[in-house]
Amino acid sequence: MIFTILAETNGTDLHPTTYQLIGSVSSMGCKSIVICPNGIAAEEAANIEGVEKVISVVGDCFDIFDGGAWATALNSVCEGYILVSATPNGREISARIAAMRNVPIIQDIVSISVVAEDQGITVTRPAYSGKAIETLTISGYAVITLRPNAFEAANSGNDAPINVVNQSADIKISIQEAINQASERLDVTEADIIISGGRGMGSIDNFSHLEKIADIVGAAVGASRAVVDEWGMPHRMQVGQTGKTVTPSLYIAVGISGAIQHLAGMRSSKYILAINKDPDAPIFGVADYGIVATWEDAIPALESALSELQA
Amino acid sequence: MAYEALDFYDVDSLLSEEERMVRDMVRDWVDEEVIPNIEKACRDGVFPDEWRVALGEMGVLGAPLKGYGCPGLSYTAYGVICRELERGDSGLRSFASVQGSLAMYPIWDFGSEEQKNYYLPKMASGEWIGCFGLTEPDYGSNPGDMITKAEDKGDHYLLNGAKMWITNGSIAELAVVWAKLDGVIRGFIVEKNDPGFSAPEMKGKHSLKASVTSELVFQDCKIPKDRMLPSVKGLRGPFSCLNNARFGISWGALGSAQACFNSSKDYAMSRIQFDHPIASYQLVQNKLAWMLREITKGQLLAYHLAQKKDAGTWIPEHISLAKMNNVDIALEIARVARDIHGANGILDEYPIMRHMANLESVKTYEGTHDIHNLIIGRHITGIQAFTRNA
Amino acid sequence: MLNHQLVKLKHEIQFGQNRGINMNIAVLLKQVPDTTAKITISGGKVDANSVSKWSMSPYDEYALESGLQIKDKTGGNLIAITFGPERTKKMLTDAAAVGADTLVHISDEGVRNEKNSFYIDSTHIQKLLSAAIKKYEANVVLCGKQAADTNSGSTGPGVAELLDSACVTLVSEVNYLDGTFTALRPSNTGTEKVSVNGISVFAFDKGSSELRRPNVRGIMMAKKKVIESITSEDLGVDVGDLRVNLDSQTPPPEKAAGQKFEGAEHVPIVVLKLRNEANVI
Repeated sequence: MIFTILAETNGTDLHPTTYQLIGSVSSMGCKSIVICPNGIAAEEAANIEGVEKVISVVGDCFDIFDGGAWATALNSVCEGYILVSATPNGREISARIAAMRNVPIIQDIVSISVVAEDQGITVTRPAYSGKAIETLTISGYAVITLRPNAFEAANSGNDAPINVVNQSADIKISIQEAINQASERLDVTEADIIISGGRGMGSIDNFSHLEKIADIVGAAVGASRAVVDEWGMPHRMQVGQTGKTVTPSLYIAVGISGAIQHLAGMRSSKYILAINKDPDAPIFGVADYGIVATWEDAIPALESALSELQA
Repeated sequence: MAYEALDFYDVDSLLSEEERMVRDMVRDWVDEEVIPNIEKACRDGVFPDEWRVALGEMGVLGAPLKGYGCPGLSYTAYGVICRELERGDSGLRSFASVQGSLAMYPIWDFGSEEQKNYYLPKMASGEWIGCFGLTEPDYGSNPGDMITKAEDKGDHYLLNGAKMWITNGSIAELAVVWAKLDGVIRGFIVEKNDPGFSAPEMKGKHSLKASVTSELVFQDCKIPKDRMLPSVKGLRGPFSCLNNARFGISWGALGSAQACFNSSKDYAMSRIQFDHPIASYQLVQNKLAWMLREITKGQLLAYHLAQKKDAGTWIPEHISLAKMNNVDIALEIARVARDIHGANGILDEYPIMRHMANLESVKTYEGTHDIHNLIIGRHITGIQAFTRNA
Repeated sequence: MLNHQLVKLKHEIQFGQNRGINMNIAVLLKQVPDTTAKITISGGKVDANSVSKWSMSPYDEYALESGLQIKDKTGGNLIAITFGPERTKKMLTDAAAVGADTLVHISDEGVRNEKNSFYIDSTHIQKLLSAAIKKYEANVVLCGKQAADTNSGSTGPGVAELLDSACVTLVSEVNYLDGTFTALRPSNTGTEKVSVNGISVFAFDKGSSELRRPNVRGIMMAKKKVIESITSEDLGVDVGDLRVNLDSQTPPPEKAAGQKFEGAEHVPIVVLKLRNEANVI
């Protein structure tokens, strides 16, 4: 079975997800061909264990992101199963390549394995916003995108050959104007991760610490009713019976006791992390992970642990 | 979180596609614009003007009336609209009931062509608010003996008297006023700037706080001759209006009951006491099951009544039964809901006591509970038991 | 003149400039279980019959609103297209209630069946959608970035590929002026405005405008609107081999019991658990 991987970069280096893509192929006992768009990080890719060869694709068509142009340019050097990271750009390029090749496209998988005697591959993926897990078997080649951080990364320690190829494709999108707005923080109803503060935060000023964490993981900042009523936090941040009802993947409650009115607004979160200095706080009754600590101790630790993870 | 209404016997599956779409339109609007703002409106004692505008834009005012810019929907759709509005607040539904059934309807049924063309389109769009002047300080259940008087002065009518408990009065452009002309009850359209007319707001209500309730005062109020409704005399006029409004209320009360049921169920599932959610205790389950039973019965009553209304096979007593029953059970449900919510139930974090207080008014207005009972008693026996006179 | 007639005339005069271009705006809509509805899984599959509420996929709503705004400005014909079973027709009627002109239902009969475990790969659906888009001669295609049931996001770019057109994804706004479509999409530094050559597909993230509310008049007119129901045969499309088999759909693994830790020194352990156990960061 042949596996081609489209490398994901952060501009100059490989993104950790590329290592995960290569790792996923290795876990099936196979090697990967890694394609580096725009020639970026080809050497780094060649150093990863499990890479058979690297194809560095260069051309004008990579100047801006036009999914169609990128897909056209990369498709010519793809073969076999094509694995891409399920990032927004990755999903777009993958869908186009699949349509070009008239093969199935499966997005956002969390596991992959080979069917006996190379009859095909089996993947699992979340569906219905995570309310169900689908297991799919694909016979014949396909384009597949892999959820970031769901697969083990490969290690370094290799010296694969690198081929440089020139490709061109028509770019149909042109950038008219860059609009650099002060990035508005996400609203609690839109965010996949929410970090909320309650009376235990001590004062409204201390919320800046929660904002720092929100910035690291791309979260929204929420508040309990007490904080809104007594400290003047904006009402749109209020989570609870008389505020918003939210269903994020992760709800981090800091210094919130967990009164029934607050629970009404966040009980359906997929995962709840509670940080409170009172071990008997009701919030621990609904939390998946609870840390008994003051926010002064826990929040800086959380900030550094999350920063490290993102690096 | 989108609202899911209790519908144990799938009664809503009997709605037509149009009725379902109207339901969803109003339900979504109530979720987005009413629920987040109702407690403040209630505390401040105001009916937000944005709601008048939105109801006009959605095109739900005067729902079952046809022509003259009116929606022309079925009575079933009208019932659905009332239910969805009252799930938000009874005061909100009262605004729509008064506008549609008590102010627009009499003009539509008893007015001249000129009157219909002049008033109805602007009332349907919500631009002009109407109100209904029947009840007086001393004449509630007995409207027939009203003392508000109209005198024919040749080139105008002169009105004297006072009406009380008039929803929308202070914010209305016009009032459909029932007064005795030579001893016979006639309908008159009074406009807010007519000389001798004022509509002071009644303050200090513990119920229907997000609704405007007023007095209508006529002190030698002069109105032009073309303001009398030509086609009706006697109590038939106001009673026809009330029948329509009462029909809407029979559905509306269910909305209030459903809101209380939903809140009770959610609360009971979350409130932990003695290490278990109170929903696991028998007495609480008994209460929830009773609520479901009454709501389901009420839904079937309202739905079938709507079919008879649309088919024209109804009599006023049918409407009395549904209004009386559904408001009565809704009020009981609100009280039991408060009990389930414990102390939390007294806070306006939960809608319970607002609904409970509102339903006290709904039980009394549009024909008190006892009066509707006697209407049915008269129907059964042929003997009126309203008064001591034969 | 009655008030509502005056309002309509004023609107016509105000937006007259760009009118008269007979634009066909295709909007791709998908009906999904409402995001608040519970999913019941029985016999290894999601039980479609148990879904209490079906809704238009949320991102598609933004696409529809954008299409309606373009139509408000330029006139033209808004074509709402969906692929699915009979029940998806209700969603098309809802689209008509807010202003969709042409309603196209591509039936899944014969395409989705027991043989393929009722699973149909996106590439197959894209073939049908592109054929319909060509049939109705669309000048522009709007859709949501991903559907709320599959959460995949293949349709927009895949359809663009089959139409040999550009695709701009994650847009929040699309505008039309003097023959060119422009869109706002995220960039590394915030937002950028892009323009496209030729027919393009725009896939919406959260848009700058929420889908407008219908009104009674729209609902009553929508009721009368005919839905054009077509099959893969009518479109002359053979979707091809079925190479994906849906083995099963299962509920997510039971969450472990809550874990409680004393002291902030456990923060790093918990963060790793959030990544490795919970997969939420």
